[in-house]
Amino acid sequence: MKQSQTADAGHPACSAIAAAQELRPSILIVDDRKENLLATEKVLRPLQANIFKASSGNEALSLLLRHRFAVVLLDVQMPEMDGFETAMLMQEHESMRGVPIIFVTAISKEEKYASQAAEIGAVDYIFKPINSDILKSKVKVYLDLYVQREQILKLNTTLQQSNEELERFAYICSHDMQEPVRMMNSYAGLLEEKCVGSLDEKSEKYLRFIASNAKRMQKMIQDILTFSRVGREEVKIEAVDCNEIVREVLAEFEAVIASKGAMINCADLPFIATSPTLMRVLLQNLIGNALKFQDCVKPPRIEIGARAVGDAWEFSVRDNGIGIDHKFNDRIFTIFQRLHRKEEYPGTGIGLSTCRKFVRLCGGDIQFESELGIGTNFIFTIRSNNKEAA
Amino acid sequence: MTKPLRVLLVEDNEGDVEMTEHAFRDGKPACAIYVANNGVEALQFLSKQGNCSDAPTPNLILLDLNMPRMDGKQFLDCVKSDPKLKAIPVVMFTSSQSENDIRDCYERHASCYVVKPFDGKVFVETVQQVVRFWSDLGRLPED
Repeated sequence: MKQSQTADAGHPACSAIAAAQELRPSILIVDDRKENLLATEKVLRPLQANIFKASSGNEALSLLLRHRFAVVLLDVQMPEMDGFETAMLMQEHESMRGVPIIFVTAISKEEKYASQAAEIGAVDYIFKPINSDILKSKVKVYLDLYVQREQILKLNTTLQQSNEELERFAYICSHDMQEPVRMMNSYAGLLEEKCVGSLDEKSEKYLRFIASNAKRMQKMIQDILTFSRVGREEVKIEAVDCNEIVREVLAEFEAVIASKGAMINCADLPFIATSPTLMRVLLQNLIGNALKFQDCVKPPRIEIGARAVGDAWEFSVRDNGIGIDHKFNDRIFTIFQRLHRKEEYPGTGIGLSTCRKFVRLCGGDIQFESELGIGTNFIFTIRSNNKEAA
Repeated sequence: MTKPLRVLLVEDNEGDVEMTEHAFRDGKPACAIYVANNGVEALQFLSKQGNCSDAPTPNLILLDLNMPRMDGKQFLDCVKSDPKLKAIPVVMFTSSQSENDIRDCYERHASCYVVKPFDGKVFVETVQQVVRFWSDLGRLPED
């Protein structure tokens, strides 16, 4: 076995070198004739790759088991195991299957060999005598592809890790932040109760400020927790009666509905196989927003409906509220983005982003149509494998 | 008239200890509260080790989840695997609302799982209700 570069990544002492050479791709040249190996190596040397050489199919396979290659140059005519047999064995092995093979042959220029080669994973077929410029440029294409793919894979892993870390951070932060906030709220309340009648107006007001802000903080923490739980916790799919969920959500808003004199119309909704939590989060937020973002002049009117579209269900929650300017299309689904002062319309700016994160996780999406002063229609799609889950 | 309950509160948060003690200050329901600040201290109390040699055996444990040194679940495992202690009902009293925590605690044989209310007044009422349930409605094993 001859190697022009040693890159034994398995050895601890070499791991630093291996890391540095990680993105330096490797080429495997397989030929039973030493002079051919040396000639090809000479052609490819300017490409700045690690060049491995094997003089038989067996030797090639053993190198392929231990290293990752960007491309293999495989001689067809070899004693014992020829190039085609070697390629076929490579196809049987998971880790070697995707490695691009360029067959190199002196014998036949017949079409049938070329098509046989294509069937067993060859990406190219070149004939001896080799034109060194053509060989070099062909190999370079595969080296570039390999490096790009490695970079993307690496970036992807890094992104995934940092995403996971962020979510864990949000979860732990919110969880641990709940304790002090609860203490502030509790003791502000207990103090108010203890000192009833003995505090002047200002002191009572200050105590109320402490309590109301602690409550607002608590609401934010709860919303961040819900947001960060989406994707962390397993989504359980059940047969869900959407009418039932709407009833539950409307019951939660009973007081607001009564005080604003809201009219709510709900069509007959389907039974679908989905996450009940997803449906609840969506309907809670959308109905809650429809009730909240109103001009307080006319009573709120809300219409909830659903229709089948292909293998999905499209739900809509339409209101006659203040509407959303279309220039905020993306912003309203971004976490902590609010379009109004909290004194006008209270909220944490987390609800719709939780909705979008959750619905996308479940393979659906959410969008809206709106006209300022007329109203907004939020539409979300839910995939359901068996549309009429019973 | 039943004998007052002996309650061991395992809690590291000073604020919650104060509020729980406040809940029983007027003796309704009547109970004796003993406080341990974490699982290790609580086990010392239960096994009457160190400076706890004359500690009484409680007939109810109120247990927080997140504590330093030994957390609630580890402590629960210790109690429920000890033949002398496993008959003592353990009421989880925590701010965690996580489904996983709730399931975990019941699987470890907690008797009850109560989330600490956000409001101070409701907190006090809740602790009183829990203790009243175990002292008035629930039957506990004889000492």
